[in-house]
Amino acid sequence: MENETQSKNIYINEIGNIAKMIDKEMTIFERMKIKSDSLKKMGFALFFYLVTMIIFALFL
Amino acid sequence: MELLISIVILAFLFETMDSSAGMGFGTGLTPLLFLLGYEPLQVVPILLMSEAITGITAGIFHNEFQNVKFSLKKPINSETRIMATIAGIGCLAILLSVFITYFAIVLPKNVIKTYVAILVLVMGLVGMISLKNRKTNYRPKLLMGFSALAGFNKGIGAGGYGPVVMMGQIFSGIYEKTATAIVSLAEGFVSIVGVASFLLISSYGVTIDYVLLPSIFTGGFIAALISPYMVRVLPNKIWRIVIPVYAICMGIITLLKLYL
Repeated sequence: MENETQSKNIYINEIGNIAKMIDKEMTIFERMKIKSDSLKKMGFALFFYLVTMIIFALFL
Repeated sequence: MELLISIVILAFLFETMDSSAGMGFGTGLTPLLFLLGYEPLQVVPILLMSEAITGITAGIFHNEFQNVKFSLKKPINSETRIMATIAGIGCLAILLSVFITYFAIVLPKNVIKTYVAILVLVMGLVGMISLKNRKTNYRPKLLMGFSALAGFNKGIGAGGYGPVVMMGQIFSGIYEKTATAIVSLAEGFVSIVGVASFLLISSYGVTIDYVLLPSIFTGGFIAALISPYMVRVLPNKIWRIVIPVYAICMGIITLLKLYL
């Protein structure tokens, strides 16, 4: 079990291997699923966009 | 403040390609905006400002959607080190271009732009030809060479930084999805130095026109959120074709702009 985790970590640590692993182990439909945490971050980014636009509206 | 819908759409399309194929926002959008009648001081600093935010946003979301793994935890991983190296070389290139401008060193613009356009075109063609037997072993020295070449080109004002770095990463054995993520974040940092240079210049009396900023920022920001997700979902074999084809298009567009 420990060896398996260790080999997975080595796999992930190599350049681009996390993306390769996702491509290999997930179907397109599985890759389409967005984690709720990622959605929250996208929401936060949109909030940042709105604040920036308000600043533009005030100063430009 | 006014949002120009046509500019929002153009910025969205070019940033979508920039954040998913690693190139095109500067090389593609700049000549198009000039053709629409905008002046360099309305376009160049605004594209840099927008790219500073959208590049970093795209980098964060590429990391979130696991196209790459950036980490500042020690030991710093290879992807973060490559990104820092590419960004570092790009920042030095910006300083070189400011130096050249400051000392009014005259370079044959058409010649150097033609050289970069042909370089990008050839890299795209080689990328297409070598699709099936591309080496996937990471070759750091080759990557350093391409980064230095891209930095030098940018430094002498010839542009094409994104396409050369992007194709250079692929030739050096980096997975296409990861290469895109690395170049997106690196361009964000390089653009911050670019913005700082322009603000420095503006403090010496050059006036920057911000009329395009809200429109370019709007289109670019939405694209910077969507593109990393698109990169994750679509299979890498699509990006393997799209990236060199897009580089070929960038080379052709630059040549057409120079000679038509």
